[in-house]
Amino acid sequence: MSSSPTAGVSTAKITVTPEQFTFVHYEAAQIVDVVTEVGALLGVANPVHVIVDETTPAAKLSAEVAGSSSDETITIRVESGALENTQRFTHFGADNARMSLGRMLLRARDRMRSDFADVPGDLDLSNDENAAWDVYCAGRLSRAGLDVNEQRWRYNYRNRFGFSDAADAAFERLWSADDLGWVDLVNEG
Amino acid sequence: MRQFFPVEDLARDERFVQTNMAERMKDARTVADVTSSRKSRGKSMRLTPDRHDASDGARSLMHGIMVGEIQALEGAGRTAHDFAAGDGSGDTIPFELKLDMARQAWDEARHVEISVKLSDWMGTELGQFAENTVLFEAACSNDPVLRLAGVNRALEGLAIDVFTQMKEFGDIAGDPYLEFCEDWMLADEVTHVKMGSDWLRKVTEKDPDRRAKALEFQQVVDKLFSFGGARGETEESPIGLARRFRELAGFTDDEVDTISQMDHDALEERKAAVRAYREQAGLESATV
Repeated sequence: MSSSPTAGVSTAKITVTPEQFTFVHYEAAQIVDVVTEVGALLGVANPVHVIVDETTPAAKLSAEVAGSSSDETITIRVESGALENTQRFTHFGADNARMSLGRMLLRARDRMRSDFADVPGDLDLSNDENAAWDVYCAGRLSRAGLDVNEQRWRYNYRNRFGFSDAADAAFERLWSADDLGWVDLVNEG
Repeated sequence: MRQFFPVEDLARDERFVQTNMAERMKDARTVADVTSSRKSRGKSMRLTPDRHDASDGARSLMHGIMVGEIQALEGAGRTAHDFAAGDGSGDTIPFELKLDMARQAWDEARHVEISVKLSDWMGTELGQFAENTVLFEAACSNDPVLRLAGVNRALEGLAIDVFTQMKEFGDIAGDPYLEFCEDWMLADEVTHVKMGSDWLRKVTEKDPDRRAKALEFQQVVDKLFSFGGARGETEESPIGLARRFRELAGFTDDEVDTISQMDHDALEERKAAVRAYREQAGLESATV
């Protein structure tokens, strides 16, 4: 198992597209603030470019990073629902954004490890693979101090892997893990 | 005790944030496929477990059901209390109708408890999603017959569609709690709609104008509940139209066909509105 190549306080350049929003009441600065905050919490110091599709309330996310150095830009694509305040349609929700962007920063950090080198792009992953990786990320975000509803991720995991004791045990292993490679992650799931 | 309770005065604690259809329809975003590009959910919008966002979609819908049950409880309770017992003319309702409303309130209270537990099971906090008060608004009419049409037939009819969808979701996902709880609640909803159908016919038996007004009001509410095509018979709608259960609840084939057509029209209207908004904003496809 390799350690994170990007440990340290985040001072990275963070950019957001679009700079001004038409469909939703979001400010690019709010997104920058969340990425800065969560990046520092997770020790991700790479430049980050967040691309928001504000034309849909759906919440699909993906992250990509070309290499493994802390200079490589992490590109996060996000549909606007993933950053939304679920109590106020079209308004920015910092808690939801922390959870969504935090997961993507962790995925990007994972992708910089050699044992994640051959992992398909996020949009090409199966629902099962996504569910397992999300549990692995959510558990780490919880331990990093974010307010995470564990049952939400357990429910999603059960929907993919079954409502059984075996699936619950696998969930617990993924949730509590901190240093998995892709093969470990998929086998665990 | 106070009668005729306005929607603004519904009692909620600080966890709940309320919204309404006017606010909802201001949202210019859409998941409808208004362009040739592929939105992230693909062509089928139906809420099934194979959708990538299935769990979150089900959690959001379950929360909507939970607050809907609270409002249905409040609405049935108000109808039992707001009108004096009588022969059904004017502002009166038959005493037996009051008893049915009281029974419905009891059912809805049980549904609230079930829905709260299901929400917890699915990882949702109370008040996590906005509460749309459109359901209670349909229960605020001064005419009890309009309430029967708007709440028992339109709203509870929607509940039949939603519960059927969620029951199927639980069945496919292998979630026994969701499947059985939705099935039990669905049985009650069919009864509630049947009550509305029967009482509407009975109370307006000698008053065709009043019946026509009530059915017209039902169509208005049904169109609201179409949520811009959120319910419909094509795969573009997340929630299907449960024809068989609606038939059991006293809907005629013609009535269901009318609702289906309204759902379709609502979807097309929504798509046209979004298309116009996108053109105005100078936007092409912007999908991820």
